[in-house]
Amino acid sequence: MRAILVRRMMTALPTMAAVILLSFLLMRVAPGGPFDAERPLDPATRAALAHAYGLDRPLIEQLGRYLLGLAQGDFGPSLVYRDFSVGDLVRQGLPVSLTLGGLALAVALPLGIAAGALAAMRPGGWVDRVLMLAATIATLLPSFVTGPLLVLVFALLLGWLPVSGWGGGDPRHLLLPVIALALPTAGAIARLARAGLATTLAQDHVRTARARGLSEGRILLRHALRPALVPVASYVGPAAAGLLTGAVVVETVFALPGLGRYFVQGALNRDYPLVLAVVILYAGLILLFNLIADLLYGWLDPRAAG
Amino acid sequence: MRPGVLPLAIVAGIALAAILGPLLLPWSYDAIDWSAVRAPPLSPGHLLGTDAVGRDLLARTLAGTRVTLAVAGAAAGVALAIGTLWGMIAGWCGGRIDEAMMRIVDALYALPFMFVVILLMVVFGRSIVLVFAGIGAVEWLTMARVVRGEVLHLRHRPFILAAEAAGAGTSAIMTRHLLPNLAGVAIAYLLLTVPQVVMVESFLSFLGLGVQEPMTSLGILVHDGAEDMDVAAATLLVPGAVLVTLLVALTRAGEALRDRLAP
Repeated sequence: MRAILVRRMMTALPTMAAVILLSFLLMRVAPGGPFDAERPLDPATRAALAHAYGLDRPLIEQLGRYLLGLAQGDFGPSLVYRDFSVGDLVRQGLPVSLTLGGLALAVALPLGIAAGALAAMRPGGWVDRVLMLAATIATLLPSFVTGPLLVLVFALLLGWLPVSGWGGGDPRHLLLPVIALALPTAGAIARLARAGLATTLAQDHVRTARARGLSEGRILLRHALRPALVPVASYVGPAAAGLLTGAVVVETVFALPGLGRYFVQGALNRDYPLVLAVVILYAGLILLFNLIADLLYGWLDPRAAG
Repeated sequence: MRPGVLPLAIVAGIALAAILGPLLLPWSYDAIDWSAVRAPPLSPGHLLGTDAVGRDLLARTLAGTRVTLAVAGAAAGVALAIGTLWGMIAGWCGGRIDEAMMRIVDALYALPFMFVVILLMVVFGRSIVLVFAGIGAVEWLTMARVVRGEVLHLRHRPFILAAEAAGAGTSAIMTRHLLPNLAGVAIAYLLLTVPQVVMVESFLSFLGLGVQEPMTSLGILVHDGAEDMDVAAATLLVPGAVLVTLLVALTRAGEALRDRLAP
């Protein structure tokens, strides 16, 4: 187990370093600047602004300052949200995005595993086929289509739920965004769980359990589910990436004050520090989730831990 | 009917409509009909109605589908080229080169690639060429893994050994013997890459970071439709339905072909 973790860290840490370095360099060689406006600034003002933000220093010094700040949790000033530092925006937005992603995962996991188990009970039967088609469609439903559709039906036509906004974290405001975000992940998990279970249910120890007269439900829960969840565990990393990416759209559609929405605004307005911070932060989060996936993997299948 | 035929027919139908349709319609995708703003579906002259500024929804959907498919095809082609080359070199050379090359693939897999594409957009400006080059450059990873696996499997087969014994050079073996045997699997994964790319393109366009007005794409149409859905639901439903149908049909076709080749 420890050997796997060490080996993973050996890839994860250089990856992280490369991400930071490359995105920093990319941002600095970019044509066009954050102070480009419809009316050009006069050179003196431009120089003063560049000086105030340290953009007139040598590149290596800028990188050094950035890394030093990063180590202290300081991502620099936001160039678009002038009154905020990027750190402020992250502190405001990240909890919203993580709540959204966490809730979506909490919905998607049981839903996907249940659907996958139901489908795997009778491979090839009509339940299996209907569920797997539904899972394929769910996996491919872009949240920017489901989001507006859910709003159209449940908010505008039926009037049951609010159209958008955070509402201070009120569950009624969260329901539709979480569903829109959870559906693709639930579909992918259902497909993986079904594949894992179909293989496991065909194995000898399950046949033995059946021969001993155990009920199907007991076999599923006690003997088959744990090894069958190995593919699901290895999906935790990509799922986290998918949820963070999906959150960008969902936050935009539902006007939620999450980090993803700031990221889009930053990207549209060339707010380098903001975009850079989100890319680095999310790369770190996804590497972290890949590590968690490895731990889960070893716990579910002790043979892999060697 | 064999699995995969129906989805493939649906894809072909949508592609054909997107290519030929605009030639048959009286309205161009950016022509404004001031006499019919937000016309409902089945209005005279506008089969699916019009959008908020009176542009024909059917013409716009067809034009948007065409752009989306063109971007997706080009990007998937880039992914196919990079992935096949990378996988072939890694699989053929083996040893340390293979190890290093696949480590790079693993490392890239762990990246939040949508954010990397957006980063590229921000840096190099929003051009359509960059949209598909950027997407293609991140979508080749799966292709590289699959091709490498196939090459490892093929390289010790007798016909390859025979070619080597007969003195064929590496490049000749790769182009004459390996590539033709890789083609089937590569095409199956190409079919599976296209919907991924369609998704990325619509995602970016929806956020305003991909294809730019006055050009249109399914992502832009869904975005515009979502803005206007309370008064003209069709502007959201039509492009949304086309997008989802296209994604599902492409994926089903790709999966059917993949399962047939590698059961």
